Amino acid sequence: MAVFVPTSLEELLTARAERPGLDLVAGGTDLVVEVNFGRHRLEDVASLSRVPELGGWRREGPAGPGGHLVLGSGLTYTEMLDPTLAELLPSLAQAARTVGSPQIRNAGTLGGNLGTASPAGDTLPVLAALEAEVLLGSAAGTRLVPLGEFVTGPKRTALAPDEVILAARVPVARGHQEFLKVGTRNAMVIAVCSVALVLDEQARQVRVGLGSVGPVPIRALEAERFAAEVVDWSTGRFSGGEADLRRFGELVGAAARPIDDHRSIASYRRRAVEVCARRALERTMSRQAA
Amino acid sequence: MTTPAAGREAGELHVVGKGLPKVDAAAKVTGAIAYADDIDLPGMLFCKLLRSQHPYARIVSIDTSAARAMPGVVAVITGDDLPVKYGIMPTCEDELALEHEKVRFVGDPVAAVAAVDEETALAACRAIEVGYEPLEAVESIEQALVSPDDEPIHGYAGPANVHRLAALEFGDVDAGFAEAAHVREDVFFFEGNTHLPMEQHSATAQAVGDKVTLWSSTQDPHYVHRALAKVLGLPMGSVRVVAAPHGGGFGGKCDPFSHEIAVCKLSLMTGRPVKCTLTREEVFYTHRGRHPVLMWVRTGVDRDGRILAMHFRSALDGGAYGSYGPASTLYTGALQTTTYAIPAYRFEGARVFTNKAPCGPKRGHGTPQPRFALEVHLDKLAADLGIDPVELRRRNYVRPFTRTVNWLRITSCGLGEVTDRVLEASGYEHRVKRPGHGMGFAVSSYMCGAGLPIYWNTMPHSECILNVGRGGVTLLSGATDIGQGSDTVLATIAAEELGLSPGDIRLVTGDTGLTPVDLGSYSSRVTFMAGNAAREAAARMRELLVRAVAEEKGCAPDEVAVADGRIGLIAFEEAAALAEARFGALSTRGSYTPPQGIGGRYKGAGVGPSPAYSYSAAVVDLDADGRSGEIRVNKVWLGHDIGRSINELAVRGQVEGGVYMGLGEVLMEAQAYRDGLLRQPSMLDYKSLTFLDMPEVETILVETLDPEGPYGAKEVGQGPLLPVIPAVVSAVHEALGVWVDEVPVTPDKVVRALDARAKGKEPRYGPKSFPQIPYPPLVKVAPPDAATAAL
Repeated sequence: MAVFVPTSLEELLTARAERPGLDLVAGGTDLVVEVNFGRHRLEDVASLSRVPELGGWRREGPAGPGGHLVLGSGLTYTEMLDPTLAELLPSLAQAARTVGSPQIRNAGTLGGNLGTASPAGDTLPVLAALEAEVLLGSAAGTRLVPLGEFVTGPKRTALAPDEVILAARVPVARGHQEFLKVGTRNAMVIAVCSVALVLDEQARQVRVGLGSVGPVPIRALEAERFAAEVVDWSTGRFSGGEADLRRFGELVGAAARPIDDHRSIASYRRRAVEVCARRALERTMSRQAA
Repeated sequence: MTTPAAGREAGELHVVGKGLPKVDAAAKVTGAIAYADDIDLPGMLFCKLLRSQHPYARIVSIDTSAARAMPGVVAVITGDDLPVKYGIMPTCEDELALEHEKVRFVGDPVAAVAAVDEETALAACRAIEVGYEPLEAVESIEQALVSPDDEPIHGYAGPANVHRLAALEFGDVDAGFAEAAHVREDVFFFEGNTHLPMEQHSATAQAVGDKVTLWSSTQDPHYVHRALAKVLGLPMGSVRVVAAPHGGGFGGKCDPFSHEIAVCKLSLMTGRPVKCTLTREEVFYTHRGRHPVLMWVRTGVDRDGRILAMHFRSALDGGAYGSYGPASTLYTGALQTTTYAIPAYRFEGARVFTNKAPCGPKRGHGTPQPRFALEVHLDKLAADLGIDPVELRRRNYVRPFTRTVNWLRITSCGLGEVTDRVLEASGYEHRVKRPGHGMGFAVSSYMCGAGLPIYWNTMPHSECILNVGRGGVTLLSGATDIGQGSDTVLATIAAEELGLSPGDIRLVTGDTGLTPVDLGSYSSRVTFMAGNAAREAAARMRELLVRAVAEEKGCAPDEVAVADGRIGLIAFEEAAALAEARFGALSTRGSYTPPQGIGGRYKGAGVGPSPAYSYSAAVVDLDADGRSGEIRVNKVWLGHDIGRSINELAVRGQVEGGVYMGLGEVLMEAQAYRDGLLRQPSMLDYKSLTFLDMPEVETILVETLDPEGPYGAKEVGQGPLLPVIPAVVSAVHEALGVWVDEVPVTPDKVVRALDARAKGKEPRYGPKSFPQIPYPPLVKVAPPDAATAAL
């Protein structure tokens, strides 16, 4: 077993091109668990932690709508809680806060969450609701893939053996955001289900991403169309009544494709996404006027 | 808050009752203590066990040749090397250290390897080829009751896969029901769960010639000692078992285990030290935890809610081996009567074998399940009658110094006082009810040590030796500190008698080669039994020292005060020198044997008797979400009749730990299976509470000064867990109006109960019925007469 510690992106991409399928380790919070459970045998491995191009985040284009945020794949969950970024992407910060323990949040990264592509990956429903694209790079160049095409199945992605996840590219949206997660307990817990809700006041869209209720993160498109009709777009707040909340919850529940497993049962997962979705929409009523 | 102590004035005690730091606290927090897995001996080999991946299969062949040929492998053993059966209970010695005929659960060990490192040992295990012929696995209580197509899991007991049956009746139950103004029946299920100790099991053996020493993370070195001598075919004197400093047991380290036996055998064969530390996954499969229990209870009451008769049935899913099973079975029926005066009582219990990890004792051993059922059942009875549930209980509380219908001797009993105190502190009786919020109340009782030993003998249960010499004061006791603080308790008691501080007492404990016997850290017995033995030894030493000083000074012994490091006016060391000069080597002994006649004389009467019972009451305050079924516990008030605190800080720690464990069991923990495999054999998926889930706990200690406990002390290690579980279920009912008659009370079950109500069905989630079980004819036991019943 060889361990590579590249110190530049170029070095990393070269190593990956020379050894397709080379294991990549950033925080190791998923990989090491797989190794310890005997589900994965480490061959050659490259550490991503010293590749400066993968770290941090930056703005691209205009600061407001129309612009983008480029989140490096090495961005840790702790860094997602940074107040400047949390203000721009509050739902991502809410999701990051529910991940593991402080130690796990210091080590785990956005790229790791994308690369593992677990149905329970906490940032994935948020990235779905934000309509993020994933920036992939190889020695041959880069490509941008919409999240829905990047995650192809449970723990399966469109990442080619010679590619590396460079970043997630997220359009800047103005409006309320929420992330809610149901788990067995309040920390160090894998989601039974999760819901991300993003209001885009410019586009007058409500977007809903669901986690842990299907093989891949799910967009609840019908529920989104319905919700856009019950938001007062002059304030960016939900303006309907109890019947609208119920309908919204039902539509979100109908979009879910949950299964029974060792963490919960399908019927409860569907119920829980309904409850989380209506709670999320209800919470937009507390949005402060811009 | 502690009630003023009656009897011996609190002012007379110098160290007992104070919240002093534990004697081993500094060594633990600085990492100076060497736990079992920290042991590292020169030339040590590492052992791994090859375990079955089949829930149930016949072994047709084992080929170890490839493993033996691997570089670094020093020895490989299989069942043929260890053919003697053992088990903690003499009535069901059904285990082999390594199976060679058939495997009975995923995780059953079949071979062991000693190699130069763990990785080599593991690789060698993988190279062992075992030919299996799978048999149809038994996965549930219902399935175990039906005659299997394949052979039963064990060749003893039966019918079908029934391990053990019990049927007892005390008084005329039918007459009680006939007289009752109201009769109610309920069915409950308590899912199994496991101990989740921080420390995995670990054992290291070192053989010299034909003698072997084992250091192990065990709760009862004495029983391990017996099992090793038997299986290894060695005299007891050739085997020494040392309980290593312990990282948590909760009942999970009470059986003799295959890895302990395997390392001894491998060390005897190789002449080198051999260590085996279980992985976390192995700990889950080693288990011996809480039995899943299905329960049915029927109670008849008069118009005022006074119990006239009770009939309680239980069915325990025992997993693959006997373990403590016969005792576990009887415990599900024994302690209903220690909180409530039940004039006529019938108990029918059954334990079945299934192809799952063996169940055994976990904190509260066999009593949290029936306590949950009983308390929730009484809540429902109270609602039927329109009587306040607390009032209904009070009308049935046992009185101190009485004897129960099943002949258990009750001495001190603070049940009424712990009830008053938690109600007062929590404001339970003045609560304002609102949807989504609930408060629940429940009580319980637990033993201060089993009145009888696991194997029949008339020797003491605890013995201590106290030596005083030029090296200071040394207390030798077989007791094992598993984190509960028994070292602190014993040092405090010895220090109290000798006028010293707990830190002045050197302890040698849990070593079958050096210390006199103690049966072990189970059944909440150590403070009461080893505590009494330590007190007796120390009081005898005190008498020698006082006599020496009195004779030297020419005064009467009762004029010599013992306190603050002085015997009379003389420093302790000087007094010790006087005594040694006068009497020779200073060594005193203390022993404790539970009194005779604290239980009945019928078959099955061995389970339940204890020299004293602790009492607990809990109030739980929680919020429950009527849409998602999520439960948020806000606060728990726990009142506990401790008799007397030997160390109040340690007592409070045990109460909080018990509440913590109870909340985990009632809210989320489940040792559940799918196709013979555990669903959650890791701490990643088997959840217990984190800091963010744990509510505030207000501990209220009540001191009833038990006449036989050391300084009046009773147990606290297990009892406080018990009422937490039913109090949570009761509070969920108050918050949402639905009963969840199955533990754990997870949000999906709450939602299903809410859905049932929405559809106009019974607002409940839980088992629908109790299976037909071929209980034997009832053993009818006459209750104690009135004169015997009032002590």
